[in-house]
Amino acid sequence: MDDTPPVLSAPDQPTNPFEGLKSPNDMWKLLEERFGRRQFLLKSGWAFFWVFLGGWLLSNLRYLFPNVLYEPTLSFKAGKPADFPLGISEKWKKAQRTWIVRTDKGFYCFWARCTHLGCTPNWFDAENRFKCPCHGSNFNRDGDVVAGPAPKPLWRCAITMADDGQLLIDKGRLENRPGAREKGEFFLPYESA
Amino acid sequence: MADPAQPFSLKPYLKKTKIWKSIFRHDFSDTPRTRLLRIFGNVFLHLQPVRVAKDAIRVTYTWGLGGISFFVFLVLCVTGILLMFYYRPASMLAFQDIKDLSFAVTLGPLLRNMHRWAAHLMVVVVIAHMVRVFLTGAYKPPREYNWVIGVILLVMTLFLSYTGYLLPWDQLALWAVTVGAQMAANAPILGNEGPFRLPFITTANDARFSLIGGTVIGDATLIRFYVLHCVAVPFLFCIFLCVHLWRVRKDSFSKQTGEKVDVWPHLVSREFLAALLVLIILFVWSLLMNAPLEAEANLNVTPNPSKAPWYFVGLQELLVYFDPWLAGVVLPTLIVVGLMAIPYVDTNPKGVGYWTKMRRKSFGPFSIWVPQERPFAVSVFMLGTILWFVLIFIGTYCRGPNWEWYWPWEPWSYRRLTKLTLKNIPNLWGGLLVMSYVAMGTPLPAKAKELIAAKAGPKTPGRLFALLHLGLGMMMSVCLFVPLLISKDADYPLRSRYTTLFEALGRSINAPVMSNLYHLFQQAGPAVGSAVVGVMILVVGLILGRIGIAFGKMKNRMFDELGLVKYAIVISLLLMMMGVLGKIMLRLLFGIKYLISLPMFNFNI
Repeated sequence: MDDTPPVLSAPDQPTNPFEGLKSPNDMWKLLEERFGRRQFLLKSGWAFFWVFLGGWLLSNLRYLFPNVLYEPTLSFKAGKPADFPLGISEKWKKAQRTWIVRTDKGFYCFWARCTHLGCTPNWFDAENRFKCPCHGSNFNRDGDVVAGPAPKPLWRCAITMADDGQLLIDKGRLENRPGAREKGEFFLPYESA
Repeated sequence: MADPAQPFSLKPYLKKTKIWKSIFRHDFSDTPRTRLLRIFGNVFLHLQPVRVAKDAIRVTYTWGLGGISFFVFLVLCVTGILLMFYYRPASMLAFQDIKDLSFAVTLGPLLRNMHRWAAHLMVVVVIAHMVRVFLTGAYKPPREYNWVIGVILLVMTLFLSYTGYLLPWDQLALWAVTVGAQMAANAPILGNEGPFRLPFITTANDARFSLIGGTVIGDATLIRFYVLHCVAVPFLFCIFLCVHLWRVRKDSFSKQTGEKVDVWPHLVSREFLAALLVLIILFVWSLLMNAPLEAEANLNVTPNPSKAPWYFVGLQELLVYFDPWLAGVVLPTLIVVGLMAIPYVDTNPKGVGYWTKMRRKSFGPFSIWVPQERPFAVSVFMLGTILWFVLIFIGTYCRGPNWEWYWPWEPWSYRRLTKLTLKNIPNLWGGLLVMSYVAMGTPLPAKAKELIAAKAGPKTPGRLFALLHLGLGMMMSVCLFVPLLISKDADYPLRSRYTTLFEALGRSINAPVMSNLYHLFQQAGPAVGSAVVGVMILVVGLILGRIGIAFGKMKNRMFDELGLVKYAIVISLLLMMMGVLGKIMLRLLFGIKYLISLPMFNFNI
């Protein structure tokens, strides 16, 4: 500790501090000097100071995490299933950042956000791929990475049928693991065509 | 005024008033005394000494780069403060305000242009300043600490640029910040998508969340970046700047030769001229070229391609080759830490205070310029700097729509059919490759050399050492080519129609080495193909081993001079730098995505 005041004598070298002590009294004095009341008060005083200052400054880190968010809702109604032809629909990309995919078995929905660093990819029909403009990740129709730096498949959103017969998409519930993403709320069977 | 014959003159009269005397403590005659008084009687000038060695202020020594960066910072402060009068940091207003500034406010365009171009200039000048300080050895003891402060200032300069270009709330701004914030989400431990994520970290409490003030970029982000850009970072910047400038003087100048001259007028006049020149350049630049402004930010649509400003394009290009936590978090951190470590690991006392002389040295048929002193330090530092600018060049001129490779002379096409294919090498092979590469850093300490020589003859250690490097080189070569030829394609049949890596990459358009080999196998038959590949493995292995041997002596000397810890730091930074280059080559020539891939830990190299 460099805040030790110079008035208190500290040994120059870390040799045996009890060397050369003649009487127990001397030793007691040395202990007093090091661990006595003065030292205790001084060190605890500084400790309180630093703990308070550090604690207060660190607590401000928590201040940077807001408790209330004013953000758009993550779910929306995408219209009737019959409105979507087979294939990848870009109808909701500009408004809701999602692709709705209709296959001959039913619907699933991609969140149009690259799993690399969050840009919005584009759909290229000729290559049958989603391609990201920021770092060149390529995804296939299933959302799996086929090229580029993305580490994970595209996220699929929960897609269900609302009571009024519209598709209800929820971008708050996401799944991309093969096996889990093709069933449950992430796939909506729909065969009448 | 005592002499009634003299006509009344205002200036001499004013100079005698109490007010004048209370402000100006000395006269302005050109006497040695006044020259000194001007410096230490002035709070702004007294950061400089009153006298300085003549050679230290020679333009060709410093090129005035430090002073120019300070001046550009002042220009940025002034223009920035003026811009703040019209700018409101809210997502509904910001873009309109910038448009007003660009089109409706008198002198607004000039100020905005100047602010933008001065920011670019500052990045250039600060980097050039760092290179100058390195090449003239000015970071060496006792100035190590000031070099560290300088690196912090460089990082802050880049961070100021980064926070600054969100503010116009255009597409460039939004997507740069999206990417930057997402890099925070990929930070190890504290990021929601990073490796070794803590179990309680989610998208609503990770590093990205605290940076952008929410889970999506919006008003909370804008006000955060506004405060960082206009108040918080400049405040810290000024503090570090004070220390930096103060330390330049207090740590003694790197150049002490030549007679001492008065700072007023010799240095002050140079500073004034440099500032004037920079101001003229900025004015002309700002009158001729408008600061770019893209379409208003749209959270759902990314421009194609979406390119960062030039000083971050290198990072953007780096992100193509590595996992985001590596390229976006670990590598930048290591670059910064590595820069800071330079004065502490460089124990060579030579080369302080002058530009090293270059001399021609021939390597076989080639002859190149090498620095006469500190050849290793200068080469490595310059190689790193050049690599960074090569990445910037690739990102700027060789990348088109979908971040696909276009040669600079090729026209871009949004309809070009490109099906890129990238494959992972199986982990075992890739792991061996990486390990052999790292083992290339092994030195042969003098003590070990003696020990082996005493036991097995004087030539044995050298031979063993050469054998080790050749072996490692061959190992790397084998671990690269063999899996590419024999491994199954792990993506078959889910993502790939081919069963082997060789076929998948051989039929791709983005792995020239692999496709040429594949064609060879197709046209000349497997026997010829295998023979060619065998020779290739041998040649590549020998070249890699030979490179290792070529650096062998240097490694041993470095180890004996630096000791284990410093050597480990230097060699790991060097291996990392060359490794980045190697990985880029593997990606561009062989179509390899990862050498080691452990998706469950988000760990891929």
